Amino acid sequence: MTIPQMNPVLSVRDLATSFFSQRGEVQAVRGVSFDVFPGEVLGIVGESGSGKSITAMSILRLLKASGRIKSGSVHFDGQDLTALDEADLRDIRGNRIGMIFQDPMTSLNPTLTVGEQVIETILRHRKATRAEARARAVELFELVRIPSAAERLKSYPHEFSGGMRQRVMIAIALACDPKLLIADEPTTALDVTIQRQILGLLKDLQSRLGMAIILITHDLGVIAEVTDRIVVMYGGLVMETGPVRDLFARPMHPYTRGLLASVPDLRDETHRRLTPIPGSPPDMAHPPTGCPFTPRCPHAMRQCQAALPPIFGTGHGARCWLHHPDAPSSFTSSSGGEVSAQRRVRGPSS
Amino acid sequence: MTTNPTASAMRHFPLDGGGREGVGAQAPGQPLVSIHDLHKHFITGRALFGPRPILRAVDGVTLDINRGETLGLVGESGCGKSTLARTLIRLYRPTSGSIHFDGTDIATASERDLVPFRRRVQMIFQDPYASLNGRMTVRDLIAEPLEIARIGTPQSRTAKVHDLLARVGLHADHANRFAHEFSGGQRQRIGIARAIALEPDLVICDEPISALDVSVQAQVVNMLEDLQDQLGLTYLFITHDLSMVRHISDRIGVMYLGRIVELASNTDLYRRPSHPYTQALLASIPVPDPTAARPAAPVVGEIPSPLHIPSGCRFRTRCPIATDLCAASEPELRDIGGGHLAACHYAGAAPPQPAA
Repeated sequence: MTIPQMNPVLSVRDLATSFFSQRGEVQAVRGVSFDVFPGEVLGIVGESGSGKSITAMSILRLLKASGRIKSGSVHFDGQDLTALDEADLRDIRGNRIGMIFQDPMTSLNPTLTVGEQVIETILRHRKATRAEARARAVELFELVRIPSAAERLKSYPHEFSGGMRQRVMIAIALACDPKLLIADEPTTALDVTIQRQILGLLKDLQSRLGMAIILITHDLGVIAEVTDRIVVMYGGLVMETGPVRDLFARPMHPYTRGLLASVPDLRDETHRRLTPIPGSPPDMAHPPTGCPFTPRCPHAMRQCQAALPPIFGTGHGARCWLHHPDAPSSFTSSSGGEVSAQRRVRGPSS
Repeated sequence: MTTNPTASAMRHFPLDGGGREGVGAQAPGQPLVSIHDLHKHFITGRALFGPRPILRAVDGVTLDINRGETLGLVGESGCGKSTLARTLIRLYRPTSGSIHFDGTDIATASERDLVPFRRRVQMIFQDPYASLNGRMTVRDLIAEPLEIARIGTPQSRTAKVHDLLARVGLHADHANRFAHEFSGGQRQRIGIARAIALEPDLVICDEPISALDVSVQAQVVNMLEDLQDQLGLTYLFITHDLSMVRHISDRIGVMYLGRIVELASNTDLYRRPSHPYTQALLASIPVPDPTAARPAAPVVGEIPSPLHIPSGCRFRTRCPIATDLCAASEPELRDIGGGHLAACHYAGAAPPQPAA
């Protein structure tokens, strides 16, 4: 999907979320901005501690008691979700924004049949009779391809396999025709053949129902498979963003390049040594000044430690001083990357 | 593969505790481990009437592990790969079958007779947060195997710990810290230092990188490869990561419902997957390339319960080419050419038309 001209479904601006404990403040998200457009799949990729899941939890305001949104806004359907009260939020969660998580077992109530849980969701948000809600539940189970749908409504979560439970979660998430679905590592706990089934299902549902999806994952393969646009997060910040093909073909940020280089290439039969990123991710209780990737970056300059770079580039951009208009061009030319001189490079995008 | 062909000749790892007590004679031509028709069944739950159900976690595995190689073992959750590893190191007593380690059958050996064996086989676990005692310093964690084996003096053990820390890329001054002060990748390095402290022959790596971040996984894999070259280690590498297993393994076994369904050299398996299950697995790998072609879900359904293993071929309930023959008779793991083993009636032959 190239730079869409329509209005975004969701607009996140300068979102900052921290967790507070006796040991101090952990700055999980430190000023994140992105848009999600109708009908697109936006992938948020990052490693543990990058802030990707906390970003999602902040959008839905599902933070633990110790977490607090410090600043920024989340506009959805003309409303700022950060300013809504709990009652209005409940009307949005599970209704206009659906959500699925990594572990369906902890998200489902083990003491209720799955049918009851789907029906409950429908009745909470829609004016419908029980019979209508039940009919809709059967329809939803068929939509997510649970065999013998009507029969399976009577089952309890433990009677389902992991893959089937995730289908139940998707059915619940779609119960009220959401405009946006947030899926946080939806296939991470599943086996690879089941993952393929669920990803195929999500893609198919997305094109049939036309909703937008935010897919959060650490898996570059999953990201490449199903998303249209990507946000790469590291140290609580967006490091790079762009259309999926462009970003994989011409990664601009040294972190993105490092990530792509550290996974083995299945088509490579020479078994050359892997290229890891040295060091480990930053401790967000003491985030480094400047660019958080500096200590691990092969291109680090004095400037990187001194000041956090803005995102350079439009459409496809990266938070890296190497892409400053005045930066030497060795990085981009030597490694085959392309930040074309013709492209207008400007300050912080969005 | 980066395995150095002279790896076994380079086995010079100064051990201050004297010689190794071998279990059986060193026979270089023979596999280090030879597993034959191994079964591990668990009796589970309760049945009101009739016999209690039997969970056949490992259900007839025959497998050799050669000296100095990395044997990858892949399969989905519930396929029995971890149970196989735990039975192999005798955390579980096998239900039947034999496990020859360096010529000696350890399947039925007593705990006492297992003592020398236990020094020679070590394990690296998946979760570096759960597998290290939080109340012990790194020095004590790494020295513990040496203490249990009564090797060296406290001073020589400390020197050894420093040597091990250097081998796994940590500093000597890390020795006095506790595990919680380290990142996941560093903790896994501590776990690896512990595992190699006794200079084992075989290291079983059970999902050693699954809990680590992508950028750190490659660090640990490179280090495992270096240690193999330096110490002549043999690895059994258990994982569900089909990209990484290809990178690290010399040979790969694919498990399904308690059995090996295909076993081949790394290149052969990925070039010529011959069991429909392997084909499905490989086709399901998410490739980090948005332009790659993606087959639709290659298999339907999910792995059946090991409490109710299907008759005949255990994959037939999900197999796109299953026939009546598959329900009637269980295919043997057979050589379909060049040492490539597959347990499918139709492997190596033209596949039958899909059953209606």
